[in-house]
Amino acid sequence: MSEKPRPELVVDGFPGRKRPRWVELATSPDHKDIGRILIGGSLGFLFIALVEMLLMRLQLAIPENTFLSPVAFNRMLSDYGATAVFLFAIPLALGFFYYVAPLQIGARGTALPRLGQIGMSLYAAGATVLYAGFLFTPSEAGVNPLAPLSELAFLSNNGVDAWATATGLSTLGFVFLAIDLLTTLRNMRAPGMAWRRVPVFSWAASVCCWLLLVIGPVLLAALTMLMIDRNYDGIFFADGSGGAPLLWQHLSWIFFSGAYVLILIFAFGAIAEIIATFSAKPLFNRGVVMGSLAAIAVLGTLAWMQNMMTAPIGIGWMYFAMLMSLALIVPFGLIVFNLIATMLGGTLHMRAPLLFALGAISSISIGLGAEIEHSMVAAAWQLKNTTDATAATHFALVGGAVFGGFAALHFWFPKMTGRTMGESLARISFWTMAVGIVLAFVPLFFAGAEQGQVIDAYKFFDGTGVNAYNLIASIGTLILAAGIVMTLVNAISSRVNGPEAGHDPWGGESLEWFALSPPEPHNFDVLPDVRSAQPMRDIRDALAHRNSRAELPARESQPVA
Amino acid sequence: MAPHSPGTDQIDTLLWIGFVAAAIVIVAINAALIYAVRKNRAKRGVQPTPASGSRRVQFRVGAALTVFAAAIFVVSLVFTGKARETPATGSAGLAAAKTEPLTIKATGQQWLWRYDYPNGSFSYYKLVVPVDTAVKLELLSTDVVHTWNVPDLSGKRDAVPGKTNKVIFRADDEGTYDGESATLSGQAYAAMRTAVEVVSPQAYEDFLEQQKADIETAQDRVVGLIENGEVP
Repeated sequence: MSEKPRPELVVDGFPGRKRPRWVELATSPDHKDIGRILIGGSLGFLFIALVEMLLMRLQLAIPENTFLSPVAFNRMLSDYGATAVFLFAIPLALGFFYYVAPLQIGARGTALPRLGQIGMSLYAAGATVLYAGFLFTPSEAGVNPLAPLSELAFLSNNGVDAWATATGLSTLGFVFLAIDLLTTLRNMRAPGMAWRRVPVFSWAASVCCWLLLVIGPVLLAALTMLMIDRNYDGIFFADGSGGAPLLWQHLSWIFFSGAYVLILIFAFGAIAEIIATFSAKPLFNRGVVMGSLAAIAVLGTLAWMQNMMTAPIGIGWMYFAMLMSLALIVPFGLIVFNLIATMLGGTLHMRAPLLFALGAISSISIGLGAEIEHSMVAAAWQLKNTTDATAATHFALVGGAVFGGFAALHFWFPKMTGRTMGESLARISFWTMAVGIVLAFVPLFFAGAEQGQVIDAYKFFDGTGVNAYNLIASIGTLILAAGIVMTLVNAISSRVNGPEAGHDPWGGESLEWFALSPPEPHNFDVLPDVRSAQPMRDIRDALAHRNSRAELPARESQPVA
Repeated sequence: MAPHSPGTDQIDTLLWIGFVAAAIVIVAINAALIYAVRKNRAKRGVQPTPASGSRRVQFRVGAALTVFAAAIFVVSLVFTGKARETPATGSAGLAAAKTEPLTIKATGQQWLWRYDYPNGSFSYYKLVVPVDTAVKLELLSTDVVHTWNVPDLSGKRDAVPGKTNKVIFRADDEGTYDGESATLSGQAYAAMRTAVEVVSPQAYEDFLEQQKADIETAQDRVVGLIENGEVP
């Protein structure tokens, strides 16, 4: 026996150079690091999408404006759509799911961390390709590049290729992230956490991941066909040679309809957690809310032809789309009912997360309410592709992704950083955004429904009765953008300057509040047995019980007066 | 937007019904939110009351929502059915279109609409139709997807290459109705407009004759120029 330890037990390793923090972060397979990159990246792209939207609104502030050329406007429009959907809304939802869901279910990591890492890298690659497009030329084919406009014959530069590569790479990344998260949610829940005890937000994560597994490959197939058409003389979407332009519409609208409800499911998952926590009550009728979230995913995707009401498809398909869209009233209505019922009898603490959550419900209610008219077949014939549709979509998706996303950000920010976000700036930001969204999109309802102003146009003409509407909308968009930027600034400055928060600042009910803030790399040292849908409440009750028992002897030993 | 055809009359009514339904939903949800917030603000010493809901309430709300959705569905079916009916050509309309609607071909191309009339003449941008006459537009496209959109006379319809779509309407009043294409079709999309001129049957016939004569004159002139070698 020697005095020295055996060489293979030496754990110090080489005194290698320390890698920079961003390299550590970018190569980390930890779900919290990947989640933070997704959330941070998507918030950055929210800012870029805002700039693009503002430029378009500036062009549309006055009639027959010449601020942007038609080509520049179409490029702005195409990149705005891709940025808002593929680089902001979906990755923001996935980022929160990815950060929070493993903590909520008491997992020490994800099941397939390298797959998640590849998913995040593919998203980053997609974003790079889209914006590298500015070095040569961005797409001019619009938010949903309908074939045959997106075919080589009509747009012969590389723009559409860049668009398709960018959205394809990020969608593939989303599918990878979804596979990883689904595997985690199915296999790595804490002991005792049956599906009926899974927190609503993690359930929403599960629903959204299943949804992505369905709609992601559909878009990937469509993009592959488009790329074959453009680069290898394919005829998938070319008419006259056996191809069908309508095929692109079906495939892409399946994806976009699914993505639309995905964002709303994410938002309602977060809102449900926030309302329950800030009312200091368990969620009313959890089971119905969870079932409704799943129903929304199915019905919302099946309603894809709601976007094709004017296309040459049979009237029966239009009625089918109307049935599926109107059926969505039931699950959405039940969720909103149960959220409001949760608040009744609660003690509402009106902090920033709750404020944004309520704003999200309000904004989504306007968007979905207006969407009812777009589901009624003959009414849709008038309203489709008018600015009325722009307004309805933006109320629902800005409500879901921005208001809902900001609610989630304020709610889980203390968990991620150990600090809360500045409350007064949050309030100012919220009310600015609330005024902004109303001014930005309510006038567009009138311009579209009353005067029939069409979407995606780089200019509108004087004397069509929409001048005032568009000017107000442009001013409103500026106000909305100012409000959003305030929250982005708040988030950046609060990471170092925010007031320090405890590990459980809001008195949450689920297990992420059992971890430290920010959590250790392995999340939990020990895990409690889960006995109900409110494990943190059980832990607090058990602690209170133990403390009261510990006090008993002391009380007995006090001198009797 | 003001309806000037039987179809758009129906659509206008349906739009108002939809507006009321949407308004009910939006007002109800936001009023309930405001009520819940005002009533349940946290106060010192007030404990949250435990949930006291029953399955019955849930069923009632679900049933009410289902009835609401079903009502909208049925109403939409009825009005969509009415809006799709081929209107009859009236007494003031074109005699030739009494039994069959007057069929005109509308071809969208970047960034113009071309209209081909039954007698072989054609016009660009401007469509001339007789008043009080059932008109069937066959929508075609030579390049990308366009949407024919004259809101006063009819709902929108897409012209998709390789497919034929149709719009059937009857203009009830003489006048000029503007329209603009409603699907992004490239650079000059915003400028892709059209106008429908609704005139008396006699004026319509005169327009067709005049148009045919003008086109023939122009074609003869071109043929003459080519034959004389003045243009290659």
